[in-house]
Amino acid sequence: MNETLLTILEVIFMPVVAFVIGLFMVLMMRKLAARLQRRVGPPLMQPFYDVIKLYGKQTQISHGLIHDIGIIMAVGGYVAAESLLPVPGMDGIADKGGIVMLAYLTMIPSLGLALGVGQCANPNGSIGISRALTSMLAYDIPYIIVIFGVAYHFGSTNLIDIIDTQQAGGVATWGISEMPVLAIAGLFALHASLGKQPFEIYIAPAEIATGPMVEMGGKYLGGLFVMQSFQLYTASVLYVSLFLGGGENWITFLLKCFAVLAIPIIIAYLFPRYRTEDLVRLVWKWPVMLALIGVAFVMT
Amino acid sequence: MNFLDGLLILSLLSVIVTGFAQKLRSAGWLSSVLLGLQCLLLMGMAGLAYGSPAVSSSFSVSVLGQPLHWQFNALSWFFALITLASALASSVYAAGAWGEDYRLQGGNPGLLQFALNLNVFAMLLLLASGDLLSLFVGWELVSWASLLMMVLAGGAAGRFGLRYIVYATAGAMAVMTGLVMIFQLTGSFQFADFAAIAPSLSNAQVVTFTLLFVFGFGVKMGLLPFHLWQADAYAETPGPGAAFLGAISSRMGLFAMLILVIQLIGLGRLINIEVPYSFFSLRDVLMWVAAFTIIFPTFTAMRQNDARLLLAWHGIGQGGYMLMGLLMVNPLGSAGGLMHVFNYASYQAVLFLVVTAVIYRTRTADLNQLGGLVTRMPLSFLMMLICIIGLAGIPPMNGFVSKWLIYRSLIVEGMPLLFVASVVGTLGTILSVYKLIHNTFLGQLRLEHEQIREVPWSMMIPMLILSAVVFITGFLPGIVLDWVASAQAALGIPVLEHTLGGVESPSGNLDMIWICSVLFGGFAVGALVFYSGNKSRRVHQLDNYAGGHFLTADDRYHYSNNFYAGLMHHIGHWYRGTFQWLESSLGSAISLLSAATQMLFNSFHPALFLLLAATLSLLFFAG
Amino acid sequence: MTQNELEKIEISTQPKRTNPLANVFDDLVRFCRSRSMFMLHYCTGCGAIELPPAMTSRFDMERLGIQPMVTPRQADILLITGYVSIKTLKRVILTYEQMGSPKYVIGICSCTVNGGMYWQSYATAKKLDEYLPVDLYIAGCMPRPEAVMEGMQQLMQKIKTGEADSWKKYYSHYDYYLGNQQQLFGNNWQTPTDIIGEAESYQLMGPQTLGEHTKILQQVQKPLEPLEMKL
Repeated sequence: MNETLLTILEVIFMPVVAFVIGLFMVLMMRKLAARLQRRVGPPLMQPFYDVIKLYGKQTQISHGLIHDIGIIMAVGGYVAAESLLPVPGMDGIADKGGIVMLAYLTMIPSLGLALGVGQCANPNGSIGISRALTSMLAYDIPYIIVIFGVAYHFGSTNLIDIIDTQQAGGVATWGISEMPVLAIAGLFALHASLGKQPFEIYIAPAEIATGPMVEMGGKYLGGLFVMQSFQLYTASVLYVSLFLGGGENWITFLLKCFAVLAIPIIIAYLFPRYRTEDLVRLVWKWPVMLALIGVAFVMT
Repeated sequence: MNFLDGLLILSLLSVIVTGFAQKLRSAGWLSSVLLGLQCLLLMGMAGLAYGSPAVSSSFSVSVLGQPLHWQFNALSWFFALITLASALASSVYAAGAWGEDYRLQGGNPGLLQFALNLNVFAMLLLLASGDLLSLFVGWELVSWASLLMMVLAGGAAGRFGLRYIVYATAGAMAVMTGLVMIFQLTGSFQFADFAAIAPSLSNAQVVTFTLLFVFGFGVKMGLLPFHLWQADAYAETPGPGAAFLGAISSRMGLFAMLILVIQLIGLGRLINIEVPYSFFSLRDVLMWVAAFTIIFPTFTAMRQNDARLLLAWHGIGQGGYMLMGLLMVNPLGSAGGLMHVFNYASYQAVLFLVVTAVIYRTRTADLNQLGGLVTRMPLSFLMMLICIIGLAGIPPMNGFVSKWLIYRSLIVEGMPLLFVASVVGTLGTILSVYKLIHNTFLGQLRLEHEQIREVPWSMMIPMLILSAVVFITGFLPGIVLDWVASAQAALGIPVLEHTLGGVESPSGNLDMIWICSVLFGGFAVGALVFYSGNKSRRVHQLDNYAGGHFLTADDRYHYSNNFYAGLMHHIGHWYRGTFQWLESSLGSAISLLSAATQMLFNSFHPALFLLLAATLSLLFFAG
Repeated sequence: MTQNELEKIEISTQPKRTNPLANVFDDLVRFCRSRSMFMLHYCTGCGAIELPPAMTSRFDMERLGIQPMVTPRQADILLITGYVSIKTLKRVILTYEQMGSPKYVIGICSCTVNGGMYWQSYATAKKLDEYLPVDLYIAGCMPRPEAVMEGMQQLMQKIKTGEADSWKKYYSHYDYYLGNQQQLFGNNWQTPTDIIGEAESYQLMGPQTLGEHTKILQQVQKPLEPLEMKL
């Protein structure tokens, strides 16, 4: 009983932590972008200002109930998914699901967003969703191969086991040293899943007016900001857990997470955008090939 | 007289009664009541699913000295439950407002109910088969009964039905050949006799039997490359009939294949047979057939512009998951495969019913002619949402659990490429079901659909109950896993250890109770955060960003056609219609051959042939 | 009502709430509003050319939390950068009405103040604030990026102190603005946004929300009720 209570407390606490870290990840992203463009960039608390302002808007425009529910699902889905990601000192319900579960649970927020955007009756949004789903079809294939390789290597889909194995053996048993090819493929897939340049096809501000966000204002847009910070957090923590031995303590954990995220972001702001079919072609070619080679290494 | 006797007799009675009561206005309700009674009788045998021994019928028939008898075990019960539940749902749906409307459109709802009962009877007979002969009898009945269902509306459906029967007859020939060969080997049609000699069969014999049965029964399942008949035939069947056929009819092929290939021949034999010059065993080949059955039809579904066709193509694709799971030695995989039969039936039936509901109100299933119906048919939208989440295999619905079991066993057995194939199928499903729900229920509401209302309760209740099943068995998968485990035991394959919430294993657990609770907790937090902001105000759908353009009701501001345009730029040219081409070239080859024979026949004197044939046969019998 | 009269009207600013905690909360929200301004630059004229330097590395608006947005729903500030032709004005109004409040309008360049060099043009709206409540003008032909930044900072100050609430004027004096709009576009003029309905539902109705012009509107208006869910 006591254990259940503790789990429930962790489940409540983990999303809060994730949200705060996620906001700082957004800040890092914007800061890095600014630095690369020789700008100063936003102040420290900028992501907080943005979210609070958006929620504090006085008139909020809704296109219907599904528009509202979509945003609730987008935020709520990630809130739930965070409790499947072990962080130092807290395991949440990570042993109840595992990585395959996590991979599918993180589709719920996207599905919610897709529904909400659909109700907006704006073709820009629908095109955005069709592109987002297409890019999901593209990057999920290398991603899932990587997950397969890691699960096969550690003999478990349980993230706690995977992290424990890596921490017990030190750096030499980290996923990245044992499966470097898979790690590269995973980083590629992670980059594509963030929806940043050059894989930014579904936002494409100059083309389809920010796609899914086209009719989102006020707390709707605020919800999407929250979702984005969760998304950055989830992607980087998952990568750290699979390849970098998770977090021994909070300091190394945060260092690893921010470092992992910094790589795709730095690459992102040096590139323009691919077209949809080029994205699919690219992602189905290189990361998939790398991931398959990586899996072949793991399995032999 | 036991429950099984009662069930089969009542089922036969229902066929007769609904056959005579076709013209009656209340024929629909009569048929629903009869099906409901059959469900009750089936529940009487529920002990089967929790470990009771198999029930044998107290009557048997003897044909040419071969006894035919019928029995029910946990596997039959499991399939029978799905059959009767989907039949009951379809029957209730068709009995009320839909049936009235169908009559006004010139259809005969009584005939539909009769066909439904006939199908149920045939299927129960097949599921209850206690020997190879009764299996074959049941099989033929099922084939012809579903033909009746397909062609009763006439028109295009009739044409596709004929195509089906060509395939089905070819399949039946193969099955019969296999059975005759077994009879020659064992001298009887008993399962036990065949099982006894199965270990001593030569590899060549095993391959022959496997190929014959996989082809024969695979035709019904729509296994690649024998899938072409299915989508069109199911899509053109009147709504509730399509829901029933789509949910369960094809799975009869899987059931028969399970009995013959997995129970009697055994997977162990298939794994040991190497395909020459390759790494593959015979089992791997079948798994790849299953994998292609997942991928190709799913991606074909993505291109469909008719909601019914889209669903029917998915039906073919989902069959691949079941076969793939069941071909795995691992108890996780076979449990996943069996559970997927149940899960799939639950959401596929609702999806067809929802699409029928949309057709009932709008008179079209064309995905380019709809849109925005969520404000007018919100409950139907909810049903479709629940069921597409199931179909796409996303938590918290039941489709996820069975797919999770299959993925998990693929990881355990170390099959990366098959794993990727099954995930690609799932991703393709997500894309196409979003297209389905977006193009029907989301986006701009068309002017001509402004006055549409939600469908009446007689149509809504079956959908509500079935989609509740989709959710509950996703939340508590242990309910179905109990039945599945008993079915596994009945098949003689390893049984899955499970809990109410899913699976506990040292290499990774699944506990849907926790996951669902946390997920809904997450939604609650999301709602709290959302509603803590200022209250929002609904705006008209034309109050919309259009780059400064003033939208009017005449503007079609909606994206539906060629929904995945970017993707199709890349993969569009991969759709070559190879299977269509194969089918049509096979057809032309046969017609060429028959034309040649006819020419030969006509150019000589026909009487001469007759004389020749008579002489030869006389010689044969005399000699 | 003339322009001068309009300017004299005090918009009843929200009275300070008695609960000190609520005051802190209001202050926080106002502060965040001032530090996070999403702008929609409606680049109508030559002034737009001054914005890229203001946004990019030379002046970097993002330091102040200002960033460009794409659609009116997402934006807080509407930048009108130059002359507004009659045809453009319709779109500007549509865009303004689609923005979520609180929203601010900045008129950049002399043309928005008094028509500038297009004073004699028959096709140009002379004074922007006859059609929309403008919070801030940045005069000049064209104003340099420094001036734009200076203006932005002034707006930030006004938002922080709660003075910048002319968006309420659009609701409370809709009749006046609508009248001027009708004068230009004719009596059939209608935007997709239901301003009166919004004013009602957010309690922003003023003494002059309704009047003779809104009567004309209500006569010709095509219905704009949202599609309610029906069971």
